[in-house]
Amino acid sequence: MAVKKNNNKRTTVRPASNRPTNFYYILGAIALVGASILGYAMTRKPNAAVGTEAIANAGPIGKAEGYLIGKPDAPVKIVEFADFECPGCSQFATVTEPDVRKRLIDPGLANLTYYDFPLPQHKNSQAASNAAACAADQGKFWEMHDAIFGSQDQWNTEATDNPKPFFQRYAERLGINVQTWETCFDARKHQGRIMANAAEGERRKVNSTPTIFIGDKKYEGALPYDALKAIVDSATKK
Amino acid sequence: MTRRMVVAMLALAGIFVATYLLLYKLGMIGHLSCSIGSCETVNTSKWATFLGMPVAAWGVAFYVVLFVLALVSTGERYAESKGMAQILVVLAATGVLFSGWLTYLELFRIHAICQWCVTSAVLIAIIFVISLLEMRETPAVV
Repeated sequence: MAVKKNNNKRTTVRPASNRPTNFYYILGAIALVGASILGYAMTRKPNAAVGTEAIANAGPIGKAEGYLIGKPDAPVKIVEFADFECPGCSQFATVTEPDVRKRLIDPGLANLTYYDFPLPQHKNSQAASNAAACAADQGKFWEMHDAIFGSQDQWNTEATDNPKPFFQRYAERLGINVQTWETCFDARKHQGRIMANAAEGERRKVNSTPTIFIGDKKYEGALPYDALKAIVDSATKK
Repeated sequence: MTRRMVVAMLALAGIFVATYLLLYKLGMIGHLSCSIGSCETVNTSKWATFLGMPVAAWGVAFYVVLFVLALVSTGERYAESKGMAQILVVLAATGVLFSGWLTYLELFRIHAICQWCVTSAVLIAIIFVISLLEMRETPAVV
């Protein structure tokens, strides 16, 4: 009797019935879907901030030249690549940067250089970069930078197709000679410089904004003040 | 379809989720984007590295081990092994604790939520519950 029972048991654990073919099909399907998604994500990686076409249309590419705030010979140099229309950059500019300026830049511990890195999905970002570059001609880059970031939701792609009147209003408010500013803005006078700044970002393998470089280290994302201060402190000690 | 097979399937899905995060961390995936409240913030935070390796790499290794064990456990030899069921539960519990810690960091320290990290946390929680049910139903005597 006992022997018979064992025999029965043996027949119920046949390997074939233990792992049905369906199981392998499903595993295969999961592997296929997973591998396809990963493969797609890896090939899709875009490398150009503004697209080669846009660079080709912009005439001669200028020389990369950021906008400096702080003492040129400060011991630590912070380099920021940012997009005026990126919410992460706006967060950095409005929440973190006031502390950075007051506690690191003003006392001469560090300086900061801003480079444009307009992302293709932000249609008004290049206009914003031009608006700021034209303000820089009159020594008001950082004032314009703050005004643009501070009111990002009013002039961004979601809000308007024509951001110029907004920038013009900021220029007026900041005491900029609006006529000169407008001529500069309409002519896209600094487009070459903006493209060159973006190209410099690509050269440094920037692929998201804001990206901050301190020394030769790259930090992606809007670093909070404490984290940035710690990095500056350790760079100072070197 | 046994519960262990479901565990194996979920673990396989987990391998891909963790691999995605790892490739992101290594800079092989990623799009031009602005970083706010998302995986960039989480995956570039100081907590994204654990014992000198990216957390995502630990995730990949973890899911690979779990997948292999779950797959082996569905075989004839271990089909009724209580010990194997217990190993799966202990492994899954470790994963749940680690994921719980990471989710805590996301919510209260980094203040950003990464959808892929949450996906992984949900996967391991489901795996844990299924392995626990499985273990309770596996007879103690082989």
